[in-house]
Amino acid sequence: MDILNLAWKNLWRNRRRTLITLAALSFSLMLIQAFHNLSYGVYSAMIDSGVRAGSGHLVVYHQGYLESRDELLTFRPGDLVQRIEQLAGVQAVLPRLYLPGLAQSSRESRGILLTGVVPEAEKKVNPFLRRLPDSEWLDSLDGREAILGSRLMKELQLKPGNKFVVTMQHRSGELVSEMFRVHGVVKTGIKNVDKSLLMVGRDRAAALAGATGTVHELAIVLDKQSDGLQVYPQLLNLVQSDPLLVGLTWEQAMPNLYNAIRLDYASQKFIFVIMMLIVTIGVVNTMLMSVMERFREFGVILAVGASAMRLRLLVVIEALLLGSVSMVIGTCLGSLATWYLQAVGIDMRTFISGTLEFGGVVFDPVLRADWDTGWMLMISFYLLVLALLAAVYPAIKAGRISPAAAMRHH
Amino acid sequence: MALIELQSVTKIYPLGNQEVVAVKDFSLTIDAGEFCVLAGPSGSGKTTLLNLIGCLDQPTSGDVWLDGQNITQAEQKTLADIRLNKIGFIFQSYNLIPVLTAAENAEFTLMLMGIEKNQRRNRVRQLFAELGLGGLENRKPSDLSGGQQQRVAIARAMAAQPAVILADEPTASLDSQASEELLELMKRLNEEQGATFVFSSHDPLVISHAKRVVRLLDGRLVSDQ
Ligand SMILES: Nc1ncnc2c1ncn2[C@@H]1O[C@H](COP(=O)(O)OP(=O)(O)O)[C@@H](O)[C@H]1O
Ligand SMILES: [Mg+2]
Repeated sequence: MDILNLAWKNLWRNRRRTLITLAALSFSLMLIQAFHNLSYGVYSAMIDSGVRAGSGHLVVYHQGYLESRDELLTFRPGDLVQRIEQLAGVQAVLPRLYLPGLAQSSRESRGILLTGVVPEAEKKVNPFLRRLPDSEWLDSLDGREAILGSRLMKELQLKPGNKFVVTMQHRSGELVSEMFRVHGVVKTGIKNVDKSLLMVGRDRAAALAGATGTVHELAIVLDKQSDGLQVYPQLLNLVQSDPLLVGLTWEQAMPNLYNAIRLDYASQKFIFVIMMLIVTIGVVNTMLMSVMERFREFGVILAVGASAMRLRLLVVIEALLLGSVSMVIGTCLGSLATWYLQAVGIDMRTFISGTLEFGGVVFDPVLRADWDTGWMLMISFYLLVLALLAAVYPAIKAGRISPAAAMRHH
Repeated sequence: MALIELQSVTKIYPLGNQEVVAVKDFSLTIDAGEFCVLAGPSGSGKTTLLNLIGCLDQPTSGDVWLDGQNITQAEQKTLADIRLNKIGFIFQSYNLIPVLTAAENAEFTLMLMGIEKNQRRNRVRQLFAELGLGGLENRKPSDLSGGQQQRVAIARAMAAQPAVILADEPTASLDSQASEELLELMKRLNEEQGATFVFSSHDPLVISHAKRVVRLLDGRLVSDQ
């Protein structure tokens, strides 16, 4: 029999109260872990499709291009594409040109952003193109085929196979025009994308603008988002050789998506904090009640020679045991919930019709969790710390008991 | 040198905006090996005196000496140490920690002293045999009779072989037969092992067993025989 054993036995004196507190602690921990993992999974999926459609996990620009979107800020990638492709963890490197201009059909005209892409590489990676049949996809770097967003096509009153003209400013300052044919149509569900997407082969676009051999962007897609930590410094190394180039992470290159996720997670974190706080108050209450009930018994313990310190320690250990048990149970339940949310997920189609868009990204209507084990351990450790803090006041209270007064207390 | 020495001790309790003089100008000396009862009606100051001797409380004025140490001004931590090492306590009732077994209760002070488990076990087994508690080691206090509970309290008080065992009306919640048995037991421990007992009672039957009777009334010493 030592102090730990005594604390454990004391914990089970009021079995019902302890069980209720234990349930509240474990259940909160489970909810927090499960919701965090769900968000983690959903955000990961969002980031993944966001970077694949956007500028990649990592990206190389000409200095100043990200801020000004000045179409003159192109660069010659040279062998940079091959060298980046050789880095471990890199799935694809997508060289792209972005050229603002005007699209005209026989009836309508619209402002557009002509995107020059490398067809093979782009199709494998870009989620907007996932449902586009191969037969409708671009087959050369310099063909006249074009892929249009469904809304843009409708607004221009075009049909697949129709011709239209794209006009833009040449490097020399002259206006140049070129004819393209609608080859494929993309419907993403994101208004902005469907209204403005216009893809053609990179060489054709470059030639039109008088920028042959150059690109605006090298979008780098990685096997895993977490590889970014290793790949980014290596990329910076490669890019350093040309002082006009900058290498950026997706957080820097796509601040809208990054901030949308951050904001969304911040509100969730706030709820987590409130939950933890409520649970902590519950523990304070439990511990305080159990201390007050044992007023006389604590008097005996002090009278037979225990120091006030030891009594405080006893109360703290009781709370820590309560916290530890909840930590284990809560983490088991949280893992179970995560496992379910990963395997089965939550089908949002039951709640919302139409496509789900967030921060400019369409995502899978089935929300799926993903394991963030480090975070789960951290939060369960926080729970233990909170249990400890919750014991402070009851412990002080116990340490203040005067044995003589307690013994008179009947 | 005396084991316990009270030198014109006064203890005043505040009670609302009044004061209660529980013990007044009280002097007493008790030597090692005594078997002494503080006798007096309820409210006469017996508990207050035992608390002062037992380092549970400190006097308003006067001095308390225990085993050559003046404890009048001692710090809480020192008082706890003295209680652990020099004093054994037995209270009127609810002495034991309900979640612990009889043996664990008896081991409690030894545990606080950091004595190793096997040694604690042996000591308590031996004590239980002497106190007629053999076989009850694993019972919870709630499964023991009042007399048995008090004997477990004696075992706890004696386990660490303190200088003095203080008992505040130890028989008050027992029937007359159990009271008699408990008192005989205390007396035997006093005679055979030389354990010093100071206890309080207002029961004439109990008082008649004591070798020395200190009578109190309204916090003052009336007689000492
Ligand atoms: N904590 C206290 N506060 C106020 N009065 C007290 C306190 N403790 C004891 N007293 C008073 O002191 C007197 C002596 O009490 P006590 O020592 O308990 O006597 P006894 O044990 O002989 O019954 C009584 O009048 C009692 O009411
Ligand atoms: Mg009394």
